[in-house]
Amino acid sequence: MKLRVHLQCKNLHEYLRELSPEILDRLYNHPATCLAVYRDLPSLAKNYVMRMLFLDQPLPQAALALWVKIDSQKDHDECVSVLTGLRLWHSQQLQGGLQGYILNPVFKDNLRIALLGGGKAWADEGSSLGPDRHARDIESLDRYAIERWEVILHFMVGSPCAAVSQDLAQLLVQAGLMKSEAGEAPYITSAGFQFLLLDTASQLWYFTLQYLKTAQSRGMELVEILSFLFQLSFSTLGRDYSVEGMSESLLTFLQHLREFGLVFQRKRKSRRYYPTRLAITLAAGVTTNTGFIVVETNYRIYAYTDSELQIALVALFSEMLYRFPNVVVAQVTRESVQQAIANGITAQQVLNYCTHNVLLWTPVLPPTITDQIRLWELERDRLRFSEGVLYNQFLSQVDFEVLRDRAQGLGCLVWQDAAHRVMVVSPQGHSEVKRFWKRQKSST
Amino acid sequence: MASEDEINLLVIVVDVNPIWWGQQAQRETELTLSKCLDAVMVLGNAHISMARTNRLAVIASHCQDSHFLYPKKSWRAGDSGGDDACSSGDGKYELLAVANNLIAEEIRNVMSKAEVKGNSTDTFLAGSLAKPLYFTGQVIKAAEDCALQYMNFMNVIFAAQKQNILIDACVLDSESGLLQQACDITGGLYLKIPQKVALAQYLLWVFLSDSEQRSQLVLPPPAHVDYRAACFCHRNLIEIGYVCSVCLSIFCNFSPICTTCETAFKIQLPQMIKPKKKKLKQPT
Repeated sequence: MKLRVHLQCKNLHEYLRELSPEILDRLYNHPATCLAVYRDLPSLAKNYVMRMLFLDQPLPQAALALWVKIDSQKDHDECVSVLTGLRLWHSQQLQGGLQGYILNPVFKDNLRIALLGGGKAWADEGSSLGPDRHARDIESLDRYAIERWEVILHFMVGSPCAAVSQDLAQLLVQAGLMKSEAGEAPYITSAGFQFLLLDTASQLWYFTLQYLKTAQSRGMELVEILSFLFQLSFSTLGRDYSVEGMSESLLTFLQHLREFGLVFQRKRKSRRYYPTRLAITLAAGVTTNTGFIVVETNYRIYAYTDSELQIALVALFSEMLYRFPNVVVAQVTRESVQQAIANGITAQQVLNYCTHNVLLWTPVLPPTITDQIRLWELERDRLRFSEGVLYNQFLSQVDFEVLRDRAQGLGCLVWQDAAHRVMVVSPQGHSEVKRFWKRQKSST
Repeated sequence: MASEDEINLLVIVVDVNPIWWGQQAQRETELTLSKCLDAVMVLGNAHISMARTNRLAVIASHCQDSHFLYPKKSWRAGDSGGDDACSSGDGKYELLAVANNLIAEEIRNVMSKAEVKGNSTDTFLAGSLAKPLYFTGQVIKAAEDCALQYMNFMNVIFAAQKQNILIDACVLDSESGLLQQACDITGGLYLKIPQKVALAQYLLWVFLSDSEQRSQLVLPPPAHVDYRAACFCHRNLIEIGYVCSVCLSIFCNFSPICTTCETAFKIQLPQMIKPKKKKLKQPT
């Protein structure tokens, strides 16, 4: 029996909360990071931060509590916990002995710089290089980004035409998305299947997080590359930036980003780079999706696409029927859905994928289809396994009942059959029940 | 990951009447026009930083007309316009730097080019408010109300109310009945700032929040609104007057014909006693 691995997609705040305080403080030393973290806060928390941005003294907690109306107290508490968890503010004692909150000074200074100016420039604007003779416009950048990203996904699906660098293949294996036996080419895991069905923003973010985890083992500075990532996400699309002043590890990181499709560089040694739309949507997590799937109540799926990758993804959970130059017709059957589930994909992920990519004028999936897919998933889930210890071959009914009541009293009885004098006890309770039984036997 | 697809637009209308600002500069040097614009830019920057889908527009309201300070009229939607406006070369977020530079440049153009006629301290508020009618509007007003604009102003306010646009007002000097009515009708906030030098602080604390957060935060209570109407003949604010039964226009003095809809009113004249014709008896 295989336990299903569920793909955990953390968002920015969860990731930051896991970092150690020293790293967080160093991270907040860059205006771009502060701005990115600020944007992801709940809106009430944003107001709080703005209000305290220009205060130099701590604010009493009681005064803070007066900022909200009485019925919004819950939101207030939530904001307080979010801001504390991210170390954006901390408690400080005021002169009168009261507890107060003050913004993290590093965060405060850098957010002020991001809003009002001053401080160091984020990156060289490339004005020293002059205009680019081989300038790229936005459409070609988009095409480049999507092409590079799809190569990675193709590689995961196992298309023979896709080839990625050794580094990238290793990263995929380390992320748990692919597995490789010794000497053989890597093949996709169940987590990898789930990854394929996510939307692009979540995919990017998951991938980046995995990359960051392995960053330290490659000898890269986590703070440096994270700050650079945020800086990228605030750049303007279509504008080129210079690599002036970037350290060695940052340049290596830039090459990796080039392979993922997050930046475009004409040559490896180019002095300028263009961020692509993928980089800009990375921290924002907003994707504009042009849907292409129509799901009908007769279990048919029409996918208006000619992209090999999207067709392969639809084929993961449905049977292909016909293929035309611009449409692919597939049918969702019990076998195809159960095969997808055997591969490790959950019904929810299939449904999310369909909902996410549905053509805009049919925004809702038919409830018959969603229910049926879930039912097919449940069909495989009829059995639930739990470990236990079997007690049988009792000599008398009385013995059985005494022991059973004792086990029930301890709360570790999992199952019993009085007619056959058989019972199952959980492993945790087993030792206690055994001791009781031995005492019982020796006393009678 | 949140995906708010709605664009939240904040339009700031600043009263740049040069006469009032000139008088202000002579009275006290704490708050000058440039400092006021700095505060406005802080508010604008804060608004843009809050979310990726937030947009900003700034309009300057002059004596006889109004100008867009940001964005430039020649821009297409989505155009970054990064060719001529370079960033500030420091740690400011690029988008904000471009916006701030543009605002500074435009206000210089406006102030140097616009003509100043006469000595009045009125501003062309109704026209400025009409421009951003499909946006959220916020008004920073310095000079006094002008009764001449009453009609246009009220029309603008009702149109805003119909389209669910909030109008907030931040008043620096004299109370404005018109703006109080505007804020009350559309559901915005009206605040007369007690300390002008703290303008930026007030803007950030009170006016930055959007409608969702306003229901959660404790904000200054609404002021008592002066709902007196202005008569259509002299533009004076009156409490008791005559109302045309057809078009509902208000007059302070009686007139037999309504000037707006030209209805003639039937007037009750004193009864004329008809002399009774006595039949002359024929002499027999």
